[in-house]
This record gives sequence, structure tokens and C-alpha cells, in this order.
Amino acid sequence: MDTDSPRLRLSILAVVVLSLFGALFARLWYLQVMVADQFQVEAAANRVRTVAEEAPRGRILDVKGRVIVDNRSSLVVTINPKDFNALVMADQDNLLLRVAEQLTRSGNPTKVVGLRAKLSDPQYNGLQPIPIAIDVPETLFQYFAERADEYPSVAVVRQSVRSYPLQPASTAAHIVGYVGRISGDELTAMQGGVTPTKPIDKPYQPDSEIGKTGVERAYETYLRGTPGIRTIEVDAKGRPVRTVSEQAPQSGDDVQLTIDIDAQRSAEDALAQQLAALQGKHQDDGTPTKAPAGSVVALDPTNGNVIAMASYPTYDPAEFVNGISQDRFDQLTKGGDQNNPLINRAIQGQYAPGSTFKLITATAALQRGMITANTSYTDTGSYTIIGCKPGAAGCETRTNSGGESNGTIALPTAVTVSSDVYFYWLGDRFFHESAQFGATGIQDTAKAFGLGQSSGIPLVGESKGLVLDAELAKKRHDDNPTAFPDGGWYAGSNVNLAIGQAQVLVTPLQLTNAYATFANHGTLYQPQVVLRVVKAKADPNDPNSVVMTTEAHAIGHVDLPPNIYDPLNAGFQGAIDNPKGTAHSAFQGFDTSAFTLAGKTGTAQVNGKADTSLFVSYGPAGSPRYVVAAVLEESGFGARAAAPVVRHLWETLSNQALTAVAPAQSGTSG
Amino acid sequence: MALSTSARSGPDRSRRDLSAPWRHTDPVLLVCTLAVSLLGLIMVFSATRGPTDPPVTSFLFKQGLFMLVGVVAMVVTASIDYRKYRDWIVPIYVATMLFLALVVSALGSTSKGAQSWFAVGGFQIQPSEMSKIVLILALASLLGAWKGDIDLRRLGMALAIAGIPMILIMLQPDLGTALVFIAITVVMFLIGGVRGRYLAVLALVGLMGITGILTSNVLGQYQKDRLTVFLDSSAKLEGPAYNVKQSQAAIANGGVTGSGLFQGPQTRLRYVPEQQTDFIFTALGEQLGFVGGATLLGLFVVIVWRIWRTAKLARDLLGTLVCVGVLAMFVFQIFESVGMTMGIMPVTGIPLPFMSYGGSSTVASFVGIGLVLNVHMHRFR
Repeated sequence: MDTDSPRLRLSILAVVVLSLFGALFARLWYLQVMVADQFQVEAAANRVRTVAEEAPRGRILDVKGRVIVDNRSSLVVTINPKDFNALVMADQDNLLLRVAEQLTRSGNPTKVVGLRAKLSDPQYNGLQPIPIAIDVPETLFQYFAERADEYPSVAVVRQSVRSYPLQPASTAAHIVGYVGRISGDELTAMQGGVTPTKPIDKPYQPDSEIGKTGVERAYETYLRGTPGIRTIEVDAKGRPVRTVSEQAPQSGDDVQLTIDIDAQRSAEDALAQQLAALQGKHQDDGTPTKAPAGSVVALDPTNGNVIAMASYPTYDPAEFVNGISQDRFDQLTKGGDQNNPLINRAIQGQYAPGSTFKLITATAALQRGMITANTSYTDTGSYTIIGCKPGAAGCETRTNSGGESNGTIALPTAVTVSSDVYFYWLGDRFFHESAQFGATGIQDTAKAFGLGQSSGIPLVGESKGLVLDAELAKKRHDDNPTAFPDGGWYAGSNVNLAIGQAQVLVTPLQLTNAYATFANHGTLYQPQVVLRVVKAKADPNDPNSVVMTTEAHAIGHVDLPPNIYDPLNAGFQGAIDNPKGTAHSAFQGFDTSAFTLAGKTGTAQVNGKADTSLFVSYGPAGSPRYVVAAVLEESGFGARAAAPVVRHLWETLSNQALTAVAPAQSGTSG
Repeated sequence: MALSTSARSGPDRSRRDLSAPWRHTDPVLLVCTLAVSLLGLIMVFSATRGPTDPPVTSFLFKQGLFMLVGVVAMVVTASIDYRKYRDWIVPIYVATMLFLALVVSALGSTSKGAQSWFAVGGFQIQPSEMSKIVLILALASLLGAWKGDIDLRRLGMALAIAGIPMILIMLQPDLGTALVFIAITVVMFLIGGVRGRYLAVLALVGLMGITGILTSNVLGQYQKDRLTVFLDSSAKLEGPAYNVKQSQAAIANGGVTGSGLFQGPQTRLRYVPEQQTDFIFTALGEQLGFVGGATLLGLFVVIVWRIWRTAKLARDLLGTLVCVGVLAMFVFQIFESVGMTMGIMPVTGIPLPFMSYGGSSTVASFVGIGLVLNVHMHRFR
């Protein structure tokens, strides 16, 4: 080998080494200078996550600005079912055991079986994180946050949840409603969250909260906050490291109700006390008064605003915070309608109005000239239908429910003493003189007063009630002959209709609204529960903070000239003032000279059960500011059961000394 | 003789002796090596301090200690005439092979699928790092003595000397280090005068060997994946392909000037694995950008140039061979370790000299520089 060879070979080596370094320089230049932008985008994408952050909902206030529904911060431990199910069984058990240990240590006694049960609860769809412990302490939040890789699928999230500061928490529960996790159907329907009236983008996530009932649902678009968007940087294990950018969540608007919490409480207390007092007692014919349920409505007749609306039994909306268990939900709802506390009986319950319907029958007769205020009729205590052969079917003689005879009376007295015979006579004449007064005179007037149709109150699930006529009776029979074997319309049908029995059903709200229409001399308003919507936490009285104001909305009119209004008004006042009035005893001690009241009792028979007790009233006479009604199921005479509840609310509304709520001593069926 | 005279002449005279070996050291090589080491120390700290304060400093202090040990080892290595090593090479070689055999036996410890180190009092000692130096000395001794006169029998002997440690390391298995051995052997054979014919045949056999390894079950699937992932740009976003993708993204993220020391989002958030060892160039690339990366590569080029220059200046073939062996070791490790982070080389765990965290590799690299300095110092006598 010649001596030049090593030198040559060293040169070859130098060339190879230089090429290798040249390749490294070239690649470095390529990555950091030529394609850097493209890689930078990719790099940013894999370490940045966008998280939607739910905003607190708006508050719900009463008419004076007192907070009915507020928010509080709650720490919730969740397990993501998708990540959890990706673990092998042994890891799952081990994880749950450690989670249960930590929860128990932090004061939430937890067993693995319990966690398993929650994870398999069909309420959850397997995509959303499942809450396994709510309201956990801050220390647990830190514990899990620092050990994300030791506890896969477990997260602790800070949620703004509903709080109900009033005592009891169930106050106004049926009006405000409750919130819950959005359902699949709701998510589809609300996708985008934009409504024509409120063009603010409030997108929903699969685990978003949404109003389910009441005002929470009806005013969802206002109450829902605008979710915040947070961009966070995460490390290779997905643990958040820092926040890159943040668009803060915006609280939803506050909704101010027309409800006055003092009146609401008064109504709820009176109703609950009276039902409790009636339970275990008997009405005059010996039927036990079970008094399981009832409702109270107070309206402002000048605009249709709801001042109070109570329904019994009630529930605690706080139970729905962070999700209610399926067991508890079944317990609430599967006891049958009678016991279901989630039902708002004021708008969903349908009852025969009994004698309270005499407002309609009398107005129909007066408007059509069948009678005048002075037209007398002799109430002998019983009534036989015109042209009836004694003994024929449907021709049985009808009597006043108390059996009393009221003598020769005109309309005001007939209303005050609630003479059934007088109104049987009117009903009978509407049947036999239909050529002159129209076959559906009473029904037409009922509809003019808003019966048999939705009142339009902006709450979900309102019942329509029922006003039956010949045509509807036939259709009802044709559609379902088993349930309605007789599709005919007889003189007896009209006679029953005239005293609000059998042919007519009303909701307590409809009944109240019909009397409100009378009280304001003929304007039928759409009932409202919301006064206005104001910016979050703003002063409701500052005009600049008002987002929306509800205007009084007239939806119908009933012609009530003095020749119609005055005699009826006199009759209603007499029911309370006149010693013969049906509700006189219930209002003994109430200072009517300072606050003149007018009202009407009602007692509706229900097959095999105690009577439905009704009372509806308005005041002060002259320019009524309130209309108050109560309907108590299976409770007996209107004067004895419902009237004292209404009186209690009047005492609150007129600032009079409150008297104990108890069944009135006397009072007739009327 | 010359050495013994100067030893007897005493310290006073030696200071005035203009031909004393320490006066002929290579300051450029020394300065560049220390500069890279300091940069490495900073990057090890950056890669291990953690995303939050207070920073973790244990890696920083340990690496500083390794550097000190390395510098001492370099000075010791440089101060003993390299021709002396030839006399001791047989016992050194045999002892090293015994260590390598022990580490794959029950005494060794396993980490990340490879059994490659001993645990000694809190430190891990990897004999394979020092065995690279031993192989360089052994091959240089043989080839230097033969002076290019290499027949098949001598070639077989040299192959056996290189093959024994290679097989022991493949048993760990540590493919990356085995590849360094191949690079050292090939380059030393080239400079040591092995005939072109033989080199061609050896290259062919080597190629067949690699194909055989990749298609047989000698390697675990994960190792094959790591080795071939750079060939497949569409590989899914996990495992080795994910690492390489994240590493490239991090380097690209650095851009021209980098995101700032201690500031690299990709590396700070640990999207890149092993960034204080095998992927340390990624941390540097992201945080110091093209400026920093090119500076480091430039320093390496200077180091390699000074080694190559020493190989040329060496007074004998033994010195030349020692230098090219060290050169081959550094160049291959640099090209593999840096190329891997940029996606142009397969993923194998090879430390970047003077940069990667690790005692054994740091000390071995300093000893390599010590050998080159040694040859440089003794180029006249």
C-alpha cells in the first residue's frame, strides 16, 4: 500500500463527513425556515383545547325585586363514561375503589356499588360526564386536579347551580319550575340557540342545563347565559397548564315576575293548612274529605298579571340541582296524578266550576234579554224540567242542595244565596227557547269569558278546560262510545250546565281570569307571570337595564253595561256582606267596610268522592285590584273549605290582621 | 527515551522546555468542546426543570458532576502518551468484554426494554459507552501495527475484535450503540488500509445482515417500528411516529430565533419524550431556533475538523487511526441523534456527545477528546 493512500482516504472521509453535516444543516433550514409556519399551526393545534364554559343563569325575582331563584357555585366530581369504559374491568374496580375512598374521606360516604349504580343509571346517555358526587369540598378539587393521570376519566368541575334562598325552598316552585340537563331532543331543537326575539348565540353542549318547567323553561332564552369560551394549553398527558385566551361567560338576564312573594307565601300557607285541617273529616253527607290537593290563584284584573299562584302538593326544585336520580323522579311522578307534586294544578287541574259558573249563565241570560235584574222567579226549593212527565228518564225533580226554599227572588238575591232553582230555570229556558236565545247561549258566553280555551299564560302544559254543547257531546260520543255512551243533548244537560255541573270543566286560572274579566268590566287579558326582563344583577327599576317589558295583552271582550254588571256585582257582594250570603260566615270579622269584597262560592259534585270546593272573589269593590280564587279537591262546600283560604290571602293583600285558616262553621252548597 | 529525560529534568526546566507535549495541545478543540458541554448543561436543565416553578435542579447538578468527572478523565487520558495504551490494550480489552458480558447476565439492570447498565450507588454505569473507546484503541493498535499489510487472516482477526463487543451489545439489545461500533469499524478499516475489495464485500454482508435482522425476530416489534418509522410519513399519531412528529413540530416551532430559553411550549409541556437525553436537540431547536441549532452544528463541525486535522498531523498511523476512530464515533452519533429529531434518521437511542444527559456517555466523549488531544500533543515526539 503506497503512502499516499491514507491521505486520499482521509480526504474521502472528509467529504463524507461534510456531506453528512450539510444534510443536517439543510434539514434544519427546511424545518425552521421554510416550512416552520405549517408545523407551528400543527404544533399549536395539538396542545390547545377549546372548552365551553357554562354561564350562570339569570336570577328570578319577585315583583318587588326579591330573589326567588339565585345561583351558587358547586364542585361536582364526574366520571366520563367513555373514558371509564375504555379501562379494563380490574382497572375500573381499582379506580372506583380509590375514588370511593377519597370521597368518603372528604365527607361524602361512598361505596363502590353506589358508584357502579350511578354509572349505569339509564338517565345518562353514556356521552356526558356522569356526576357521582356533588358539593364536594375544595380540597378534593385540588386532590383530583393534581392527580389527573392517576384517576383517568375522573374530573372535578365547578358548576354554577340553582339555589333557592327562600324558606321553604319550595316557595313558588310551580311558577319558577326547575332546571335539568338538556335531553337529546332538546339539544337538537335548541342547536344554535338563536331565536328570532333574541339573536344572541347561546350554544348548548350535551351537558348544558336547560329550563324544564315553569318560568325556567318559558323564559329560557333570557335566563340562559352566554357560554364562555376558554382556550387552554394542555401538556402531553392532557392536563391543563395555562389559559391562552378567554372569552368570559356572560350571566343570563334576570327575570322579574309579577308574583308578590308575600302573597305567594300567604296563599301557599293557607292552602296547605286548610287541606291539612280538612283531612280526616267528613262532609255533611258523610263522605270523607281527603283534601289531597288544591290551588290558589290571585290575578290583577287591570292587566292579567298573576300576583300569586299556589299548587298543592308541592316539591323542592333544589332536588333537581345537579341532576335528580331516576328513583326519586319516579317516586315523585309515579304516585298517580293526584299525588304528583310536579303538576301545577292552577293551570293543569280541570274541575267542574259548580255555582261559580252562575256568573256565565246570568250574563248570558241578561245579555240576551231573557231576564232583567228585576225579573222574579219563585224558588220553591225544587225544580221540574218544563214539559216533563214525572217519572220519565232525565226528568227527576232537582232541588237546591241544602233543600231550602228561597221564595220569590230576583237575580241579585239568586246569586247571593246561590239559588240553584233560579239557574235551573234559566238553563231550561235556554233549551226550550233556543229559537229566541240561541242553542248555545251559555256556551258562547263561557267562551267569551275565556273558558274552554288556553288562557295563553306563558307557562308550558296549560289545560284547556271544557265547555260542552250538543255538537261537541255528539262528537265526543262518536269518537269514544265506551267512555261516553250517551251523545245526546237534553234539557237536563242545559240545566246541569247552568249551575256548572257535568258539562263544563275549568282550570283555577281560567276561573280566576273569567271573574277578572267581570271585575274590570269586560276585558279578557292574557295572564302574565313575568313583569320584565332586566340585565344580570341590574337594578330592576333602572330603565336602562330593562331588556324586555311585558305589556298587558287583551285577548277578548265581554259586553257588561251597568244593567248587567250592577245586579251581578250586587249579588256577589251580598254573598259576603249579606247574612244570607253563602260566604258570609267565612268572612265574619273581615273588615269589608275598609276593603269591600265580592265573591261566589262553588261546590261541584264528583262521583264517589267528596265535593270540589271553590271560591272566587274580587275587591275592593268599585275598582278591583285583585281577583282571588281557590279550588280544593275532595274538600266539601265551597264556603267552608275554599273561602277561608281565599280570605287569608285577602287579609295579606289588604294588610289586615291574619286570622287562622280553618274550615268555616257554616255555609251551604252554593 | 525522550520522555524519560524530560521527566528527570524536573518541573522548573520543563516549564522552559518549548517542546514539552502540553505546549502542543489544541486550544480550538478544547474550547469548542467545553462550549458545547456548557450549552448541553443549559439544555439539560431546560429539558428537566419542569413546566412550573420552582424548577427541578437535580439533573442540572448531576450533569455538572458528570462534566467535571469527564474533564478530569480527559486530562488524565491526554497526559499519558497514547503509544502506552498499545502496551496495555489486551488486558483492557478483555476486562471490557467481561463487563459487557456481565451486564447482559443477571447482574445488569433493565430499562426501556434493554439490559444495558449496572446500578452502582445511585448511579447507572453503561459499559457499552466506554467500550467504544476500548474498541477504537484495540483496532488502532492492530491496524497501526500492520501498517496496511492486511490479508484475509488479519482481516478476520480485526473483524473478531470488533464483532465480539458488537454481539454482546446486540444481546442487550442496544441497536443504536451497535450501529456506532459498525461506523467506527468501517471508518477505521478504510483509513487503516483494508483493501477496497474487502470493504465492498463487508458492506454487502452488512446490508444483508441488516435486512436479516429487520425481517427476523431478533428485534422486538417496537424496535423495528422505531427503525422504519422515518420511512413512512403517514404513520399514525402515536408511538415512535408520534414522537418524531412532535419533535419535528417542536423544532419547526423554534423558527429562526427560537421561542426563548426555557420557553419552548412543545418541549416544556413534554410533548417530546427523552428530551434531556436522545431528543435533546429538539429542546435546543425549539428554544434557540435555527440560530442556536446552526451554532451547535457549527461547533461540532469545528470539533470534527480539528479531530480530522489531528489525524492528518499525527506522527504515526496509530495516532491517525485513534483520531479517525474518535471522529467516526462522534460523527455517527451526531448525525443519528440530530437526524432522528428532524425525521431523517431512524429512531434509536443514541446520546448527542457533550449535550445529552448521562454520565457514561459524557465521560466517554471527554475521554475521546482526550485521546485526540494526546495525539495532537505528541505529534512531534
